[in-house]
Amino acid sequence: MTRQTARELASAVRSGERSATAVIEQTLAEIAARDGAINAFTAVTKERALAAAAAIDAAIAAGRNPGPLAGVPFAVKNLYDVAGLPTIAGSHIDRHRPPAAHDAALAQKLAAAGAILVGALNMDEYAFGFSTENTHHGPTRNPHDPARIAGGSSGGSAAAVAAGLIPLALGSDTNGSIRVPAALCGVFGLRPTIGRLSRAGMRLFAASIDVGGPFARTAEDLALAYDAMQGPDPADPASAARPPEPTLPVLSRGIEGLRIAVATGYYASQGAPEAFAAVERVASAVGAKERIELPSPGAARAAAMIMTSVEGAELHLEDLIARAEDFDPRTRARFLAGALAPGVWYARAQRVRRWYCGEMAKTLANVDVILAPVTPYPAFPIGQAWMEHAGQRLPAAGHLGVFTQPLSFAGLPTVAAPVADCGPLPLGVQIVAAPWREDLVLRTAAAAEALGAVASPSPASIEVPGR
Amino acid sequence: MADPFDPARYVPEAAAAAGLTISPADLGDVTQAFAVLARVAAQIMATPLPEETVAAALFIPDDGAAQ
Repeated sequence: MTRQTARELASAVRSGERSATAVIEQTLAEIAARDGAINAFTAVTKERALAAAAAIDAAIAAGRNPGPLAGVPFAVKNLYDVAGLPTIAGSHIDRHRPPAAHDAALAQKLAAAGAILVGALNMDEYAFGFSTENTHHGPTRNPHDPARIAGGSSGGSAAAVAAGLIPLALGSDTNGSIRVPAALCGVFGLRPTIGRLSRAGMRLFAASIDVGGPFARTAEDLALAYDAMQGPDPADPASAARPPEPTLPVLSRGIEGLRIAVATGYYASQGAPEAFAAVERVASAVGAKERIELPSPGAARAAAMIMTSVEGAELHLEDLIARAEDFDPRTRARFLAGALAPGVWYARAQRVRRWYCGEMAKTLANVDVILAPVTPYPAFPIGQAWMEHAGQRLPAAGHLGVFTQPLSFAGLPTVAAPVADCGPLPLGVQIVAAPWREDLVLRTAAAAEALGAVASPSPASIEVPGR
Repeated sequence: MADPFDPARYVPEAAAAAGLTISPADLGDVTQAFAVLARVAAQIMATPLPEETVAAALFIPDDGAAQ
């Protein structure tokens, strides 16, 4: 199993120790041999990957700079455009769309830094889910226990990185779709500030909340990929006109002087004790003693659910009217329900968001970094519909977003980091800061990693039950 | 105030009026999903907001200089 980081691979390629072609050939062989056990990939772009690797090797031979990610294999959630492939976004309906003419903007930026696209990754249909139990393409399995979910909706992205098939992947996050699978698979994931990274060439779900972002097995790799993707893009109307603010140069500054607090109340209930204990271990390691009550998480989550359901339904209304039976049974009812929501609910959700973001800004004036659990429990068995908690019967997948939804609704940058020593099933911590302070969340993640409080665990060898 | 929404009545009638066909097999799931939305909507409709709070999605046109 390949567990080299992106930085290590790029360093080996740039120095001539390994050729990019050798790296990509090994990656393709690993995917062919091992992806069947986890079902992370929905397409493998072998020919173009080998051609790109040859170009990197030629650039190095000619003395040109091949980029900071030279020869690093990566893959994208299949809602990202990949030139030559239909952008299916986890659906059956879009299998017959015309192939994309270009790669999505973020994939182009990684390629410009020398990284090499090797394929597209499984997800919940149209990103409406937290489990990647995709009826059309099969469930993605958790590399730490293939009988369990990988989380979602970017489950293929998290599982491929956790399994060591690739060191980097891209996903998208509306209500937790990077953070939840990162936590359940035991890898790092970054949800950047809304507007920071271009969404051009991505099939969106709920445009007013969606972002794209990277997965990796170290905080440094996360920063390496994130830095390569920054910069304004006129092709995305939501892209902010901010110059890149590189995080790698400040990554090792540590947490000295940072005011780090643990979210309490809502964020310390509605879950299993081990989820909160994991956060406390990280808090202890980074010296976070303060406890903080964040404003109105329940109202924020409620408003996020309304906006997501309505925006998602509007995007797919034509198909909901003409061919609802072709939607995944796991998303169909929720999309149809969103299509029926009264407009006043949506308008109210927008006003709640304005008010809530103002309240969060007041809180963030007094603290630099907030720690909170990612999920209320670890990965559950594939097919489990309900979760019993404190006498309540909760939707097992839907409740996974209870701690992520309120934070993304405020557009805050967040790293989901895998908490060390959680036992056989990973759990994650959200590291959250004020808008545009990706530097703080990445610095804190790197410091916690250096202290041994967060770390991406290696899965044992994967055996799929019943095979 | 009692919640005025009755998802079991609203869903089939609104779907028919909007041209959405919900199969009998799906009606229960759609009604249940809509009931969840109605419940969370009631929560935000009951959240007190200052009247001057405007929508987060505020569109500000540019001056065309970027065209």
